[in-house]
Amino acid sequence: MELKLTNIKKSFEDKEILHGINFSVKSGRALGLLGRNGAGKTTTIRIIMDVFRANEGEVTLDGEKFVPQSSQIGYLPEERGLYPKKTVTEQMVYLAMLRGKNKKDAIESTKKWLKKLDVIEYETRKLDTLSKGNQQKVQLAATLVGEPQIVILDEPFSGLDPVNAQILKDVIRELIAEGRIVIFSSHQMSYVEEFCEDIAIIDHGDVVLSGNLDEIKTEYGKGRRIVCANNLTLEELKSVCESKLSDMVTVHDVSKHYVILNVKDGINQWQLLDAFKENNVDIKTFGAYEPALNDIFVAKVGEEEAEEEKKNEDEEQPKKKGLFGRKK
Amino acid sequence: MKSFGTILKFELANYFKSKSYVISTLLICLVCVVIMFVPRFIKNDKSAKDDKEVAESAESKDGEVTYMALYDAEGFVDMELLQGYFYGVEFKVCDSADAVKKLVESEEAEAGYVINGITDYDYYVFNREMFDENTELFTEFMSMSVKMQYCEENGLDKDEFLALEYIPINVNENVLGKDSMSNYFYCYILIILVFMLIVMYGTTIATGVTNEKSNRSIEILVTSTSSTALLFGKVFAGAIATVFQVGLIGGSLLGSYQFNKSYWAIDIGQFLNIPANVVVAFAIFGIGGFLFYAFMYGALGALVSKIEDLNKSAGTAQMLVMIVYFITLIQLSNIDGVAMKVCSYLPFSSYSAMFARVAMGHVEIWEIAISAIILYASVAVMGIIGGKIFRASTLRYGNPIKLSAALKGLKKSE
Repeated sequence: MELKLTNIKKSFEDKEILHGINFSVKSGRALGLLGRNGAGKTTTIRIIMDVFRANEGEVTLDGEKFVPQSSQIGYLPEERGLYPKKTVTEQMVYLAMLRGKNKKDAIESTKKWLKKLDVIEYETRKLDTLSKGNQQKVQLAATLVGEPQIVILDEPFSGLDPVNAQILKDVIRELIAEGRIVIFSSHQMSYVEEFCEDIAIIDHGDVVLSGNLDEIKTEYGKGRRIVCANNLTLEELKSVCESKLSDMVTVHDVSKHYVILNVKDGINQWQLLDAFKENNVDIKTFGAYEPALNDIFVAKVGEEEAEEEKKNEDEEQPKKKGLFGRKK
Repeated sequence: MKSFGTILKFELANYFKSKSYVISTLLICLVCVVIMFVPRFIKNDKSAKDDKEVAESAESKDGEVTYMALYDAEGFVDMELLQGYFYGVEFKVCDSADAVKKLVESEEAEAGYVINGITDYDYYVFNREMFDENTELFTEFMSMSVKMQYCEENGLDKDEFLALEYIPINVNENVLGKDSMSNYFYCYILIILVFMLIVMYGTTIATGVTNEKSNRSIEILVTSTSSTALLFGKVFAGAIATVFQVGLIGGSLLGSYQFNKSYWAIDIGQFLNIPANVVVAFAIFGIGGFLFYAFMYGALGALVSKIEDLNKSAGTAQMLVMIVYFITLIQLSNIDGVAMKVCSYLPFSSYSAMFARVAMGHVEIWEIAISAIILYASVAVMGIIGGKIFRASTLRYGNPIKLSAALKGLKKSE
């Protein structure tokens, strides 16, 4: 199965929110849908679920126009919500039946997911009597009770302690292993790196980066090296690089343990190591740089932000010039 | 359709498990039963005390005397004749108009009369009661006094005149069409009943929708089923719960009345004896009107995210129901008037106007059929529009959405 979004555009009250979203996700894989608050992730998710209709573009499943049946999609919204005054079983059976299960199957499925998420002991309790973490797990169970093929999880780990987070991780891994399509939206990049083979970063209604996460990391790490020395602090090392090796490298960043360098074209690692030696730098660690997803996200979204600002400035410039011009 | 059934069952279970619904229904039923049993208890108690009361009645009579003041300077009043009109009243004859006023002001006399001439008098009362018949009675007495004086002056036999004056006339009323007078009572009650049910359950439906939006369960609901099925399920569950509650209350009222019928001095049955065609019209138009407004309330509930904003949003429907209610009640006395005829075709108002016309006015069967078709077609349209507004608004949080903006949004999306 492949779920594909092609050129999705959506406007609310004359304001275009999505400007042409493209990405795809295959069964047995998880896609990390990333973006800042208000970037357009939730709108995109709602279009996949056919809650909102796109103004342009289409969502397809295996090449066919995707008209989701309630049994096909399980959605865990970021804004959690079930009936606080109803028992856990009562509302889960109701939701399972809404997704096409008969009562017997709905009860069976309810028990199965409550057991898997380790909340079966609360099946007869009213939701508002449970702790936040357990309510969270019930919410996930309610998402999965219809046995959906496409699972959309929006910030599934928020509010969970490490033990419960581990239970949830196991369940998500199981969902992926069972061949379901998992779309995972989160600001917690470490979780995305843990589960997702593919990512799509949305910013201001556009997909600014998408593809296989490993490939993206390799691409982002290309031409960069990390370095630290036995005889210099990171700041001293940075200073040496900027003053004495400026024809070979530029300093990209200084992390907690390394100086991250951008290596100029045509310079290989041996030339660089020689240059360090010539400048009395006793190298402790030297290697390829693999960026964290968080760095890629910040770099990409920051880049977009800077471009946006520049664009705005450029748009304002002629007006200013004009004004001065007239004055002159 | 399957999910509609699931939603209907779930929402109905919500009503039947709701403490407020169960307690209020049982309490109202209990009150109805107790009221219907009251004459039975009073009568039993009364019959046991009957003899005692008869013996005591003569003694207590003195204590029940009402005093009134009278000033008759010219001596026009025949006290014997006056006493015949005011049974159980003792007149204190005063020597001036001021004395009459003083007695009334000090509440020593319930009322006072100052006779200015044989056809002219002043009436004094301290606090006038809602149904004060004193002037009516005294005017009747004065009129009789004039007649008696005429008989005396012209040598006519007073007794013969009185016999002619009070000759009993037998009237047999035969209403071949509708009796608006007797139909007025139940028509009035049923219009109030539908109005109350629409406002009460409409608000409950709107609150239910807003609650789901406010606790965010709507997020998972709209992705589990269609918003139209959700709204239809809620509205129909509300309608069934209403019919069940009204049936139970009506049943307990009528059942306990039947059981205690012989103890009731007045025949309440004459008011409850509603013709079958009126009951059918009430059912058709009452249910149609209920559904029409319930869809409206449901959609309006989806426009807000917080319960405290609901009044603002639901006010539109509330205002409409109120206007229809007042127009219908005011026009009951002019049942075949233009206003009532127009209202009986509009879906906003036909639930009460057409029903009232069937009960009290002149209406052809084809008129009823057209009105019912318009109403139920409007219910369907309102259901579809309501479902669309519900769908478009449920996931929009924050400030309340204006109805005009929601409708504009629908037009655009189409």
